[in-house]
Amino acid sequence: MNKIITILFLCFFILQAEDEYELGKGVQVASLPLYVGGYFSADYAQSKAVTTYRLNDIALLAYGTFEKLSYMAEVEYKDFYTHSQYPNSYSITKDRDLHVERLYFDYIYNENFAVTLGKYNSPIGLWNLLPVNALRQTIFNPMTSDIIFPNYTTGAVVSYSTYSDYGLKIGVIYQNNDDFDDNYNNYKLDQHYGLNVVYEKDDYTLKLDGGYFHQTNAFDDTEFLHYALLSGKYDSDKFQFSTELGYQQGQREITSLAGYVQGLYRFTEQHIGSIRVESYDDRLSADVGQLAVFTYTYRPLFPIAIKSEYELNSHDLQDKLMFSLSVIF
Amino acid sequence: MKRLAGIFVIGLFFSSFTLADDYVVICNKNMEDLSISQVKAIFLKKLTFVNDIEVVPINLDARDPLRLKFEQEVLHLSFQRLKIYWTKEHYMGHRPPVSMKSQESIKAFVKNVDGAIGYIDAKNFDDDLKVIYKWSE
Repeated sequence: MNKIITILFLCFFILQAEDEYELGKGVQVASLPLYVGGYFSADYAQSKAVTTYRLNDIALLAYGTFEKLSYMAEVEYKDFYTHSQYPNSYSITKDRDLHVERLYFDYIYNENFAVTLGKYNSPIGLWNLLPVNALRQTIFNPMTSDIIFPNYTTGAVVSYSTYSDYGLKIGVIYQNNDDFDDNYNNYKLDQHYGLNVVYEKDDYTLKLDGGYFHQTNAFDDTEFLHYALLSGKYDSDKFQFSTELGYQQGQREITSLAGYVQGLYRFTEQHIGSIRVESYDDRLSADVGQLAVFTYTYRPLFPIAIKSEYELNSHDLQDKLMFSLSVIF
Repeated sequence: MKRLAGIFVIGLFFSSFTLADDYVVICNKNMEDLSISQVKAIFLKKLTFVNDIEVVPINLDARDPLRLKFEQEVLHLSFQRLKIYWTKEHYMGHRPPVSMKSQESIKAFVKNVDGAIGYIDAKNFDDDLKVIYKWSE
């Protein structure tokens, strides 16, 4: 608890020092190439089986740029406090480990080439680069970003980008070492190789990701899991439409499949509604399902998201009503 | 009478040109030519170096009418979508362009800093600057 109080005091004094602070933009510390910010999320979920109250994603981030070199450091308390209420009992879990979510350096070699070194969000799909409740439309990411590929990679990314009538970015992911914090990843891995291509023109984005990785805790130590993910998005002032389709395969058979389509409508700047329909087949954990997720988000300011969400699940017991409050500062 | 009417129509035609407002995206004279897509990428901080020179995009203040016109014409993004964009970029470790209060400040900065790029009314343009894009309203 003392750590939390220290972080909150630090944030308070930094905010006091800044003349023109704007929520959601962080603050610069004493004219140094150092900006700090953070975010948090609290949510409530009610299903037939359990009701949970949770305080999670309490995070602090620091970053800066000096000429061609920049850095990013982010530490986070995940699932800081969870109260689960069952029909005849309850449980409280507290994860007080401070995890390193991101820690990397970027070096821009020239206008086309850049390299990232360290622990970073795997640049795969439409959701994984922004895994923050306050920044996305729904309370949780779709299954495509949970079961198909590793969320974090500890290694390098070499990227090539060009801007003419369209934007094109190609990235090569490389990891051949242990994870920086393998308790804080959806897969425990020691190798990850991938390639992604992003094409952007006007309001359209098309992305293709592919690669393979090695799990350290797999039953068969020689097996690599291969994945591919195709993503598309159209984003305008009023509408957003996005879709993804991904698969994962071991050496002998398909291990996971997932896909979704999502439509979003901005009634006003503050009021946003969305519907997402998902289907997945996670053969590693023998879980097959379909979801429909209905979300209404109220944003008094963009960095503050108050969400209500209903998840209709093919597993009846997992139908859920959720509310969340999240802020990025 | 027909001649008078003709002169009136021609006068009206040219007056429509003189009434139009012209705006220019300007850069330092040492800067190479840039496409409009590159200008957009520079103001969104996706492109930060050109020919090994660090590019420095300069905005006018957030609610300056010319800034809103520039964002619609060149970036093709509304004020609201840009707010969303820069909040997401904050999480990615990127900062928005710095802002200046006046076009005179932008002109002085662009003249003196290699890689600087901004936008002003065309009537404020002078020969110490380079035009990389022009539009009218």
